[in-house]
Amino acid sequence: MRKIAMIGMFLAGSAAAFMGQANAAEAYKIGISAGLTGYVATIDRAWSDAVKLAADHLNAQGGIMGRQIEVVVEDNKSEPQAAVTSYKKMISSDQVDIFVSGCVSAGNFAAAGNVVRAKLPMVLCSILPTQPDHLKWAFTMIPPPRFEVEVRLKYLQDKTQIKKIGVIYDPSPYATVQKTIAEKSAANFGLEVVGIEQYKHDEPDLSAQINKLKSEGAQAILKMGVGGTTLTAAKNIKQLGLDMLMLTSLEDVAVLKPVGDVLGDKFFFVASPAQVYQALPEGALKAEIDQFLKPWRAKFGDRDPNWAGRGWDGVMLIKRAIENAKSFEGPKVRDAIEKIAGFQGTTGIYNFSPENHQGLTENPLYLAQFKGGVATLAQ
Amino acid sequence: MNEISYIIQVLVSGLGLGCIYGLIGIGYCVIYNASGIVNFAQGAFVMLGGMITQLLLWNHGVPLLLSGAIAVACVVAIAIVIERIVVRPLWDRNASTFVMILATLAVQIVLEGATLLIAGDQPKTLPVFTDLPPLRIGTVAISYQLIWIAAASAVIIFGLAAFFGHTRVGKAMRACAINREAAALQGIRVSTMLMMAFALSAALGAIAGILVTPTQVTAFNVGLPFAIAGFIAAIVGGFGRPFGAFLGGLALGVTQAGAVVVFGSGFKSGAALAVLLIFLFVRPQGILGTAK
Repeated sequence: MRKIAMIGMFLAGSAAAFMGQANAAEAYKIGISAGLTGYVATIDRAWSDAVKLAADHLNAQGGIMGRQIEVVVEDNKSEPQAAVTSYKKMISSDQVDIFVSGCVSAGNFAAAGNVVRAKLPMVLCSILPTQPDHLKWAFTMIPPPRFEVEVRLKYLQDKTQIKKIGVIYDPSPYATVQKTIAEKSAANFGLEVVGIEQYKHDEPDLSAQINKLKSEGAQAILKMGVGGTTLTAAKNIKQLGLDMLMLTSLEDVAVLKPVGDVLGDKFFFVASPAQVYQALPEGALKAEIDQFLKPWRAKFGDRDPNWAGRGWDGVMLIKRAIENAKSFEGPKVRDAIEKIAGFQGTTGIYNFSPENHQGLTENPLYLAQFKGGVATLAQ
Repeated sequence: MNEISYIIQVLVSGLGLGCIYGLIGIGYCVIYNASGIVNFAQGAFVMLGGMITQLLLWNHGVPLLLSGAIAVACVVAIAIVIERIVVRPLWDRNASTFVMILATLAVQIVLEGATLLIAGDQPKTLPVFTDLPPLRIGTVAISYQLIWIAAASAVIIFGLAAFFGHTRVGKAMRACAINREAAALQGIRVSTMLMMAFALSAALGAIAGILVTPTQVTAFNVGLPFAIAGFIAAIVGGFGRPFGAFLGGLALGVTQAGAVVVFGSGFKSGAALAVLLIFLFVRPQGILGTAK
């Protein structure tokens, strides 16, 4: 009887050891739903490439708590419907452990219900879903939309004589939120929004919208949204011979540079610290950006580090959360992210809490323009 | 800028885009007249015109004019290949209109996909042909690129009129448009006319793409919106009437621009289409009447 008990204990111990080894060997899967094609491709490709770069970086150091990281990427074509399909596939077929998804806000919102039911945290490059039960599982690495708006309004207030502005925006949730913030907060900066016009991502000409804003007295245009339409708007302003400033949202420098060529010193854009790295003072932020830029530049050269930096930060944040939670389980990782404060990322310091899933609480953004083809701080 | 100047300015911008829609619309009519086929790959010709020119100009340093000419030649060659390997076999088998539409739509998607693989998905542009501040008539600004678009459109319209009215090939294509069987009995090679119609239509689309790209951006996926706009232009003008299609394009461009003034930019496309729909209720045969 004692022999049988001992054999039983040995078998049970062996099984437990085997299970533990299997668990340690099993990769931790990060799922990315990203617009690798379509109007946000520049952003989401940089984001997903940086997530993969961070995973490789950590894997070379032994992974997270002994587990290697595997990244699964699905192209959502910058379309919400395709995003939902990609999320479902990664949940059911790939069985990912967490999402670190791109900036197609509408797609992330639409898929949030499925992700929540699977009890998986989402670390996003988009604004957060508004539904409370969805919000509980979502965290974002991007600055709050109001930061992008305020940096532009503040510049106009402090550095120009402009009093009347117009807003053009695309119908994406992110751009719509920015539009609403500009509308509500312009007066706080001594500015009047004289007109608000909408455009579509594939619109071939924005002359009518720009003309309308000009006729309403706008001296500057705040463009909310990303993609090729920024260049279209710049070309329209130049062809109409309008003496207006254009101030655009955060965007990849590769997309913005041709816009700078068209509008010259009348063009300004919101820049993240990594985009104006050379102009930053020495300190923790610059050191963190440096940590990321070394492998990034080694692999991708001069490619824009803005969105990529936040993708890198997202993976490092997850690593911190897993280590704090001492667990890979979705609910525990979610809880741990909520408790992370003072996390130095490439964009700024992230302070998460149960009430705040938008980690950046202080505005880290700058207003920049091109001088001699180089992004520099706007004076 | 006062209210009148503003409205004139908006209409001028609408006319510029309308010229492009019109040229695309003419492309639909040329192929339809020669074969009865509605070619939904027309938007791809527009996209390829801009993309190939941009590629030659920026990547290979070929001068703009030469880049444009090579691009038109390439797009014509692509159209002839499409006609030979996709359209002709179906046409010879008397495929239905729906099959032909599906086939040309598939061609559009394949060409988009190929462009995506070759050139990537980032938006690209071309420099304006004349980089000078816009001309001003009072407070209304007219850009030189718009003048290029309008002038090129006028030359093409008159050129097409001369081609269809005074050349043997043009007359043969018109004969096919009137009655393909009778034209064949007269010794006209209808299948050759179909190939030439595709070539002409592709050239028109490519030229439209080259003209419009300096005012905006081009990318692998810009073709479909242009294809839809050109199709609407062709219907509004009276399907099969090249000059009508051009007028239809102008009407669409001006209506879209006017819709921003009256209804706001959020309703731009919807309002423009609603107005055009109402027009077609009143005059279903289009501006010049459908070609017989």
